[in-house]
Amino acid sequence: MIKLRYCIQGIAVFVTLLLVGCTTSVNVEGTIPTPLVQKIPANIGVHYSNEFKTFQYKEVMRDTGTWKINLGSQNLGFFQKLLTTMFNSIEEVPEPPFKLGEMQHLDGVIVPRIVKYGFLTPSISGLNFYSASIQYQILLYNRGGEVIGDWNIVGYGKSEAGIFGADDALGEASMLAIRDGGARIAIELSTQPEVIEWLGTLRSRGDQKLK
Amino acid sequence: MSFFKPSCRFLVVNFAVISLVGCVTSRIEQSREAITGINPDEAIVILSRASYNEHETDDSFTSCLSGILSKGPTPIRLISEAEFKDSLYPWFEPRTAPTSADDLAKLFAQPGVQARINESKLRYLAWIEGDTITVDSGGSMSCTLTTFGGGCFGMSYWEQDSKYEATIWDLENLTSVGQISAVANGTSYLAGLIIPIPILARPDNAACKGLASQLRAFVLGDQAPSQEAL
Repeated sequence: MIKLRYCIQGIAVFVTLLLVGCTTSVNVEGTIPTPLVQKIPANIGVHYSNEFKTFQYKEVMRDTGTWKINLGSQNLGFFQKLLTTMFNSIEEVPEPPFKLGEMQHLDGVIVPRIVKYGFLTPSISGLNFYSASIQYQILLYNRGGEVIGDWNIVGYGKSEAGIFGADDALGEASMLAIRDGGARIAIELSTQPEVIEWLGTLRSRGDQKLK
Repeated sequence: MSFFKPSCRFLVVNFAVISLVGCVTSRIEQSREAITGINPDEAIVILSRASYNEHETDDSFTSCLSGILSKGPTPIRLISEAEFKDSLYPWFEPRTAPTSADDLAKLFAQPGVQARINESKLRYLAWIEGDTITVDSGGSMSCTLTTFGGGCFGMSYWEQDSKYEATIWDLENLTSVGQISAVANGTSYLAGLIIPIPILARPDNAACKGLASQLRAFVLGDQAPSQEAL
């Protein structure tokens, strides 16, 4: 009886080791640059959902096993620095919808979301690199809680594939995808017609206060 | 007692080493559009032009160029690609980087960009494009392993072409000052005479050395020492 128990335990350990061995865990790491852009003259609230803060992507592939990509902390750090640099002031706020009058001290609220993440390995694409893409959704609310802007931005990154180190290559490709998406947000957000119009209303409101 | 005399052994070793390195032919061409020169405290940055297809300059090639340029009798101060891209983020990412020198004026009008470039004393930017591809391969080799021993017999070969181009921008005058191209070709062999003997040609290495040498002379301009001195 004891022998049978040891045998079952042994098989369980073996199976666990086998499953762990087939899982590639990718941690996305890299430098977080400070964007060199003109500040948008607005005081902004930002809501990062728990899903955004701890985003993890998991995919099971027949030939390469299970892939787990932990984007959350790097992506959050990137957005925190990006938005802090882009606007006059930033503060974290609770999830919309907002109570009446709750956001009166702010000019608007931004809610970033990861809509989709995907990646390709050399065995799928037939190319000698790993590639990753992230689709972001950026929602802009006015202080009344209405959605005044909704943009979808796709970031793309790729990294050379070595014989070993698939996790490093995919981690780098994912980091480059975050950078690419961030670059587009930093450059293009202030040129969106909705943002230009919103900034116009903020300016005219400021002028009225001065009068 | 040794089979070879020392002098004979030296010749055999030298012959063996030389015979294991395949032949490479290379050609370097330059087109200059303006007079160049660089002060000792000024720097250059080498960037590989990103593309979303398979043919993109390997990091190892730009590392090779940087390694050669930062050493030697007339070293040039280099700013690393990562440091440069971080300090000017988001303006030199694959989809936001200027595609021609004409876009530089527009980029320098962005707040903080000119100041950041001046602060780092960056004078030239060299865009590197190109790659190494296998254009032909053939032959066959088979290896056998038995209880009585083993060995490889046969011969295979592969021919590689390396084509790289450097486009140099002057960040003081916001113009393109010239291009340098390096083309190298070499055939590598793997001969199986019981043990497999590789005879490797490194066209990418030859292209890197040729391009680095020419890029140094180009950037230094009149300050460049003569080829004999190098």
